[in-house]
Amino acid sequence: MKLGWLALFFWFALAQAEDVLYLYNWNNYIGEETLARFEARCRCRVKQDYYSDNEEMLAKLEAGAEGYDIIVPTGNAVESLIRRGALRPIDKSRLPHFENVKREFRDLWFDPGNRYSVPYATSITLLGYNIEKMRELNLPTDTWALIFEPKYLAKIKGKVTVLNSQRELMAAAMKYLGHSVHTTDIAAWEAAKRLILAAKPYWATFSNSTYIKDLAIGNIWVAHGYSNDMFRARADAQAAGRPFTIGFSTPKEGAVLAVDSFVLHKSGRRPDLAHRFIDFMLEGENAADVSNVIGAGNTNAAAMPYIKPEIAREPAIFPPPEILGRLEMLRDFDPKMRRTLARMWTEIKVR
Amino acid sequence: MTKAERAMRWFVTLPPAAFLLVFFLAPALIVVVASFREPGEFGGLAPFTQPTVEAYAFLLGDLVYAEIFARSFFVATLTTLICLALAYPLAWLIAQSPKKRRDLLVLLVILPFASNFLVRIYAWIILLGPLNLLYTPIAVVLGMVYVHLPFMILPLYANLEKHDAALLEAAQDLGASAWTRFWRVTFPLSLPGIFSGSALVFIPVLGMFAVPELLGGTGDILIGNLIKEQFLDNRDWPLGSALSILLTVLVLALAGVAAWAARRGIKGAEALT
Repeated sequence: MKLGWLALFFWFALAQAEDVLYLYNWNNYIGEETLARFEARCRCRVKQDYYSDNEEMLAKLEAGAEGYDIIVPTGNAVESLIRRGALRPIDKSRLPHFENVKREFRDLWFDPGNRYSVPYATSITLLGYNIEKMRELNLPTDTWALIFEPKYLAKIKGKVTVLNSQRELMAAAMKYLGHSVHTTDIAAWEAAKRLILAAKPYWATFSNSTYIKDLAIGNIWVAHGYSNDMFRARADAQAAGRPFTIGFSTPKEGAVLAVDSFVLHKSGRRPDLAHRFIDFMLEGENAADVSNVIGAGNTNAAAMPYIKPEIAREPAIFPPPEILGRLEMLRDFDPKMRRTLARMWTEIKVR
Repeated sequence: MTKAERAMRWFVTLPPAAFLLVFFLAPALIVVVASFREPGEFGGLAPFTQPTVEAYAFLLGDLVYAEIFARSFFVATLTTLICLALAYPLAWLIAQSPKKRRDLLVLLVILPFASNFLVRIYAWIILLGPLNLLYTPIAVVLGMVYVHLPFMILPLYANLEKHDAALLEAAQDLGASAWTRFWRVTFPLSLPGIFSGSALVFIPVLGMFAVPELLGGTGDILIGNLIKEQFLDNRDWPLGSALSILLTVLVLALAGVAAWAARRGIKGAEALT
């Protein structure tokens, strides 16, 4: 009898020690049911750690964090991890469902040939707004002019927030002025800085997360932010029975697109489980969850039939080709350019 | 001093000294070294070739940075003065109250520490929103005062509590009015408390980035935010390090002046007693 218990104990201990997949993920970026289904299928456990931006994740890895099997970085962070030699190549022979990835999201600039990364989900940095207020004040919602032109801003002074991110805010200004966000033309960036400085007095604050709550409550009427967040603000406002609705759309001048991919970290101990996980997430039904639950765009063609029609129809989540062509992904600049832009950003904050 | 006493002295001072060496001096030196290096392509530092003063030249050659320093020192000074004005009467009242009640009152002063600092700042967001004060410089100073007030009250109380009541009685016997008793006796004697309280408020305010980030508006950036941005958002460690060094040097210079003033003040007070 005693031996039996002991054996059972060891069996448990071994099961625990063996089959755990460590996932380092964005906050709220995978459905709990999706994870439960994977755990049931692989008879293993998934343990998650979270980050709220790429820099935080990179900094933690740089400081020596180890043992993560899978990370979910955005394009420029994938590139950075590849060039640092921090990733394990992906064995596509173990991913029979890789073919489900949409053509337009394969072979992206940060990882030609998808040797290290498998796209998971997308988001767009765009404008969220209080639909009723915009209609009442007769304001356009399909252009960056809404947050940059004083003639519109005058009507919504103190009711606008923009992202507290040099890259994102300056990119929005660059798109409005008709420039690429990749240009190293200092004069163009200076023009973007002047545009921001002229609009700044009308903004309430720079905000990276509080705008979700502020939009849903009605404290602010326009926010520059991420499509997933706007999706949540809309749901929150709806759930609270507010007398208004939150809408969001991609400005016609173009915007920033973020593609988040699964990558395998070199320090991960279970590449076998990690491949199984990625392949599981590539199955249409599982891939659809990220769109249905958190309103992210989907890079998986097989997922589309499983996505709720009202979400699949949302152009701010699934951009039609003519908008997709005007979206750009952020890339890292060299240190010198970064310092120049940081200087402009400081000036934006001070003046 | 006997040999045993000397050994004991070493034994007692070694652990804190080692702690400071490892966790203060060594990191500080790393920051100094980093400030003379070049930023790496993906953050961190570039492979070392030769020291460069580029980061310092960049900061000193530009008025924008001087402006942020000036603004931060202004906010820190304002916060310190408001804390002092609020804390002095309170500390005095606590020191005057019956011995039994004092402990309870001091406990009340430190009670806010029992809840997390960020939670308390979020509470201010809820309070200030309807008052239309959220995202303004006033909100920043309010938040700063709120967070740092106990650090002013406690040293002042510790000082005021020790004052010898006989001195005030003597002053009264000699015909001093209430104001004269305060200004010529209590105030000079409390100078050490004022100085240590002010240092405990002024210096942390300079480095605080959470309060302006959460309560401040589009223009409320302080050095703390600037330094944080260099490390986390911009991945320019040398620039962030150089900013930290400049801040440290300025604060040390200021602390030097304050210590000198305090010594003079205390000497004056001693002459009085």
